[in-house]
Amino acid sequence: MIELLQNLIDGLGRGSIYALLALGVAVIFGVMHLLNFAHGELITVSGYAAYAASNQGWSWYLITPLIIVCAIGASLLIERIAFSRVRGASDFTLLLTSFGVHFVVSAIFLLYVSASVKTFSRPGWVTDTFAVGSLNIEVFDTIVIVVTLITLLATTWLLQRTMFGLALRAAAADFDTARLMGVKSDSVIRGAFALSGLLAGIAGVFWLMRSGSTTPSAGIDPMLSGVLAALIGGLGSLRGAVLGGFVLGLAEVLLRSRLPDGIAPLTDGVVFVLIALLFIFRPQGLITVAHAERV
Amino acid sequence: MLEVAGLTTKYGAISALRDATLTVGSGEVIGLIGPNGAGKTTLLNTIAGLLSPAAGSVSFNGADVTGSSPEKLLRSGLALVPEHRRIFTDMTVEENLKIGGITRSAAERASDLDEMAELFPVLKDKWTTAAGFLSGGEAQQLAIARALMSRPKLLLMDEPSLGLAPILVDVVFNLITTLKEQGRTLLVVEQNATRMLEASDRAYVLRSGEVVATGTGTEISERDDLFDTFVNG
Amino acid sequence: MFPKFDRDIAFPLLGSLILFGLLAGAGVLYQALFTGGAAERLITVMLIDAIIVLGIQVYVGNTGVLSFGHIGFGAIAGYTFAVLAISPEEKAKRIPDAPFGLADVDMSSTVAIIIAVMVACAAAVILGIGLARSGAQSGAVSATVITLALLFVTHEVSRNWPELTGGERVGLFFPIGGALDTRAPIYLALLGSLIVARLYAQSRSGRLAVAAREDNLAARAMGVNPLVQQMVALVISVAIVAVGASLSVYEDGSLLPENFFFNFTLLTLVMLIVGGRNSVTGAVLGVAVMTAGRELARRLGQDGFEIFGIGLDGKPLDWIFRENLQTVFLGLSMLGFMIWRPKGLLDDWELDEWLRARIRRDQPEPQPEPLPEVVADATSVLHAENIEVAFGGFKALTDAGLHANGGEVVGIIGPNGAGKTTLVNVITGLVPPSAGNFSIDGEDVTTAQTHELARRGIVRTFQNLRLFSALTVRENVEVSSLIAHSHRTGRTIPDIEALIGEAGLWEHRDRRASELDYGNSRRLELARAAALAPSFLLLDEPTSGMSDNESLEMIEQVRHMAATVGAGVIVIDHDLGFITGISDRIYAFDQGTVIAIGTPDEVQANARVQAAYLGSAAGA
Repeated sequence: MIELLQNLIDGLGRGSIYALLALGVAVIFGVMHLLNFAHGELITVSGYAAYAASNQGWSWYLITPLIIVCAIGASLLIERIAFSRVRGASDFTLLLTSFGVHFVVSAIFLLYVSASVKTFSRPGWVTDTFAVGSLNIEVFDTIVIVVTLITLLATTWLLQRTMFGLALRAAAADFDTARLMGVKSDSVIRGAFALSGLLAGIAGVFWLMRSGSTTPSAGIDPMLSGVLAALIGGLGSLRGAVLGGFVLGLAEVLLRSRLPDGIAPLTDGVVFVLIALLFIFRPQGLITVAHAERV
Repeated sequence: MLEVAGLTTKYGAISALRDATLTVGSGEVIGLIGPNGAGKTTLLNTIAGLLSPAAGSVSFNGADVTGSSPEKLLRSGLALVPEHRRIFTDMTVEENLKIGGITRSAAERASDLDEMAELFPVLKDKWTTAAGFLSGGEAQQLAIARALMSRPKLLLMDEPSLGLAPILVDVVFNLITTLKEQGRTLLVVEQNATRMLEASDRAYVLRSGEVVATGTGTEISERDDLFDTFVNG
Repeated sequence: MFPKFDRDIAFPLLGSLILFGLLAGAGVLYQALFTGGAAERLITVMLIDAIIVLGIQVYVGNTGVLSFGHIGFGAIAGYTFAVLAISPEEKAKRIPDAPFGLADVDMSSTVAIIIAVMVACAAAVILGIGLARSGAQSGAVSATVITLALLFVTHEVSRNWPELTGGERVGLFFPIGGALDTRAPIYLALLGSLIVARLYAQSRSGRLAVAAREDNLAARAMGVNPLVQQMVALVISVAIVAVGASLSVYEDGSLLPENFFFNFTLLTLVMLIVGGRNSVTGAVLGVAVMTAGRELARRLGQDGFEIFGIGLDGKPLDWIFRENLQTVFLGLSMLGFMIWRPKGLLDDWELDEWLRARIRRDQPEPQPEPLPEVVADATSVLHAENIEVAFGGFKALTDAGLHANGGEVVGIIGPNGAGKTTLVNVITGLVPPSAGNFSIDGEDVTTAQTHELARRGIVRTFQNLRLFSALTVRENVEVSSLIAHSHRTGRTIPDIEALIGEAGLWEHRDRRASELDYGNSRRLELARAAALAPSFLLLDEPTSGMSDNESLEMIEQVRHMAATVGAGVIVIDHDLGFITGISDRIYAFDQGTVIAIGTPDEVQANARVQAAYLGSAAGA
């Protein structure tokens, strides 16, 4: 029982980060039908910025906003340079474009920085734990979960209560009709990428705090988690993406603790197999957005 | 207010619209009737910027707007209520209206929302309901109200009575009359030729992508061969 | 007749030989210019890459489904081969604890490759079933994700199962007893891959797969089952990739999980895209171009190089040309082509097709004889009754029905939203009715799928004109004909060329469907449908977008085509002139139900019908 609770909290902690990543992926998919394989690169970029800042002696109070700003900036830059040129193209083209962007960005870091791991110091409290009864809870997990909840609430507020959010939702639902209302395609797509960058930045802060390092290929893992979680939830749905993130986090933790020892290292592989099975039997993901009746 | 000259639009090799010419004067209600496949929707969509014409021109209030994007046209004062309404089904009635007014200031939007609630009491009851749960007639009213939120100078409507039961068809045409009394300018594509001709100042008959007849509403409805025009021409 | 010896066998074989000669020859030339082990290795790698890319082309090119998983299949084959082919002495050093007693297995490399191919193909069948279940269509995201999952699973397994694979860091490192000292096996495999790839594309399965790639719905409406063809393409493609992967491992003498992961996937996909994914010639060109480009990038990144005595040195631009420039080059190539030339350098141009066109230019094809009319089987019956369809709360069809006999023309009319298209979608298997049933010749087919219905004799055309754009007129019609020869054997199946002649398209027979004007496009759609020797031709708004004159011509065309194949006709249209001119009987629909049935005159005079069209007056 204790172990289960422990797993639950660990899973929620991981799941929170995945939820943020997944949301970032889903937002872009909603407006552009593009599955962003370059999403992880936003964290790579921020990671290098964090490394540079850390070397200059910056504290994490400064590094945190830096990471977020870098993620947003990188997201907008990538949209400008690459994705804006393939709007409206076939799914095939969009997928390969984002694949290509992923490689170019990570290769640029390979070229101009180095392949070696760059480490930077993590805030002292990252490994602290506190006890609640017989549970040992990581301070880190707690903060992650709280910040994620706040972020999700803020994002919900943004989407539901602001005109920008309204425009984004309308564009995701029916891009042409949104334009008929006067919504500008450029504005809404850039806004989506900015939002996606913001979410990646917040997730990145925690990811980097946890890892304390960055490499040119650091982006692959968060990208995969984000993409997979978004797919689990059902690509059309933002709520689904968040749900998918938590499901993925919990699944990872539970599998790791339950799988027989020989197979445990294959946890990731097992997760993939489960996801592939999900796709085979339920291609629309976990959440079929219960669309209100067609009129 | 609106001048369309020699407009031709193609889908690939298909000429859906050939050499169409029409005018809409300020304050007029213009009907666009004709059998299906005649090109009426293509004409509206081309005027509204969703389609690019292969030839011809559209000018709005003296300015050439041929091939402009829908966003720009809306800002110039031209709004379209699309065929099949295309309301945002997962958003509430209020949110749909707000999106319609996205180009206006918050204050203007707020006062327009009040006005729409007055004009469309049916919508007021369902203010916070998801638009997908509205009935056909309510959805049509929402689509019209949403277009009105941008305070358009010219309102285009594509088959507003499509798929509606007779009682609701009455509601739609009453609405058209009310809007006319408010001094608005309308260009309406309709399948229900009889009702539309009653409501129009002038009308154009489209068949196989071409304008085959024009005149006042009364003139056209009094033609003996109206049905034949639809069939054979 | 199919297959045509010249087009489908002789010239593809010739083309494969020439492509082989060109690629191998380019390699020999390069090695003559730049002697040494490095050059030799570069060319060997290029040849092996070509085999793998050809394998991927067979699937991605013919089905249009983007696969990230083929390198995963390569991993499966590569590891199977390595574990089997490495001598027991070597295995004792690297993977002494290999499961299933594999550490003691001693196999020749030839047998090992064969088994590796079989294992990879078995995996392909499993994945293929998964793809079919998720409904892979050209462009569908979920199919691509499933293939990506395979890539990751194989990567994870190979990283985390050191007993079998040597794990992540050490991997498998071995001289395989009897090293690859000649290129003979590679040349053989390359030639074989070229031949298989070309012959497959020209085969029945390949053609049906391409049709489904061009327009999945239209292909099904012509009786094609895309899932079957995609499975065939997948297994063949994986077999080729497996051979290439095994040779790659053999050549390398080492195997690490990283070798068959993202980087290799990028490389092979870029090579495919750059050349043109829809053509074997393109795949070969892409391999050559990217190999050259990569090598150039690599050299410039290192320390410049010399060619024909001229030194090219990247040093002054050192800050741009660093190591790892290759990956940037690949990524930028991918991006560049996707943005500016998604079809690649060659699109779907094939060397042997061009050769054949040129060499056979002076041998004109004789215009075929006109076809005799076939008497329609008047006893053929299509019967639908009590059909109900509801979309959510909206009733699209209520108690709708239809009855058509083999010899007649039945028209369906009604205003927009009346339910006509929904009824057609029901009887062509696209929309399941919530109530009611329909049958063909007494056999209930209410729940049959679109392609099954086509094979049973109901073939439709589409209002929006769905042709197989990249295929020629002849190839379009051939798709239906192939299905007819397999599934419509009881009927008189018209000769393709004669049918094209009857449709008035003879002079356009080898032009792409996308190049036809509107009138000819409609004729082609009609001919393609007729080639299936259907019992009933179902035409959805065939005069859409036509002028009055063209509509009148259409009446004659439809009658003629129907008579040529002895089919009954059911036609929806809004052009009342056309419908009344062509129909024996008419069903009039309004608001989801039938309001009148009768001869054209009767229906036209019917007051309800007139009201439905013109709209009722206020309050009426």
